[in-house]
Amino acid sequence: MSSPSEIDALIVRRIRDGDGDAWCDLIARYEGRLLAFAQSRLGRRAPSEDVVQETFIGFVNSLPNFDTSRTLESYLFSICAHKLTDHMRREGRRPALPFSAFHDDSGGEWEIPGNIRGASSIARSGERRHLESDSLTAAIQEQVDRWRREGDWTKIKCMELLFVRGRANKDVAGALDITEQQVANFKFDFIANLRKTVKKQTLSRDVFPELYEG
Amino acid sequence: MFTQSELEAYLDEDLAADEMARVEDALRSEPQLAETLAALNVRRDSGMHSVGGIWRRARISCPTREQLGSFLLQAVDGAHADYIRFHVETIGCRACQANLEDLRQQQEEAAEVVDTRRRKYFQSSAGYLKKGK
Repeated sequence: MSSPSEIDALIVRRIRDGDGDAWCDLIARYEGRLLAFAQSRLGRRAPSEDVVQETFIGFVNSLPNFDTSRTLESYLFSICAHKLTDHMRREGRRPALPFSAFHDDSGGEWEIPGNIRGASSIARSGERRHLESDSLTAAIQEQVDRWRREGDWTKIKCMELLFVRGRANKDVAGALDITEQQVANFKFDFIANLRKTVKKQTLSRDVFPELYEG
Repeated sequence: MFTQSELEAYLDEDLAADEMARVEDALRSEPQLAETLAALNVRRDSGMHSVGGIWRRARISCPTREQLGSFLLQAVDGAHADYIRFHVETIGCRACQANLEDLRQQQEEAAEVVDTRRRKYFQSSAGYLKKGK
């Protein structure tokens, strides 16, 4: 049986060959979750469907740039997030902020162009950023997969609260009913492993400030 | 008070919906929050990475859709089920929340409503296929 990512890769290949049925398959596969994503923010069904519609059009337009080594679901969610943000700005619900040239790493012509630096500089640093990000992703994934295999859910929860939510050690200890010392130990080991990756891959320490604080 | 990781998730439209709304409310009453967000954007544009940002974008710890489906059917073992609940409710993973909601809807929604909606998406986007190829 094919894995979800293999099915996605096959669907994308068929779409690139101009297969309309494959496009139908992709819509059937993803529209429900994208609609739920949009509707959780907009509340109303009609504008949420409009955002999903714009997402699919955005995907088709960015198809030549889509890197099949990345997951299709994450790519579609990131397009949907951009369309949702645009929609909410138009409605005045989301305050405008200075745009970021890199606040998504998936590329594509639907992306808001950055105007801070020249295009060639962005392209060069974009490649470097992908390399840094991919290396750290693999290192984090390796640790999480190991904890998952060992059923060590507490460590996964601990790292998510610390890094994904940015919680303090004390709060994490309270939330997970473990000691602050345990949180500190888990964090120390996790960061030490990531530092090894940075060193081994000769990445710049300066772009991972969290790993070298304190 | 929001953590830097939460504000970064806000910029990516990646916080849970109620928390996104809380940040937007705060932005209306606290002008310095907009400056903090703008500074975060500059920091990211300058090439800085955060572990949380990488974790979220790569969906490092997200359960698979199949696991979420089993979770809905209460067919996931205790400790793993507890972790999925934590990831969806405490961490507030938007993508997993959307997947779960979609799976719930699939159990409830009439097939013809879904077909009508999918046909609409197809008709509005299929014309772009050749162009995007």
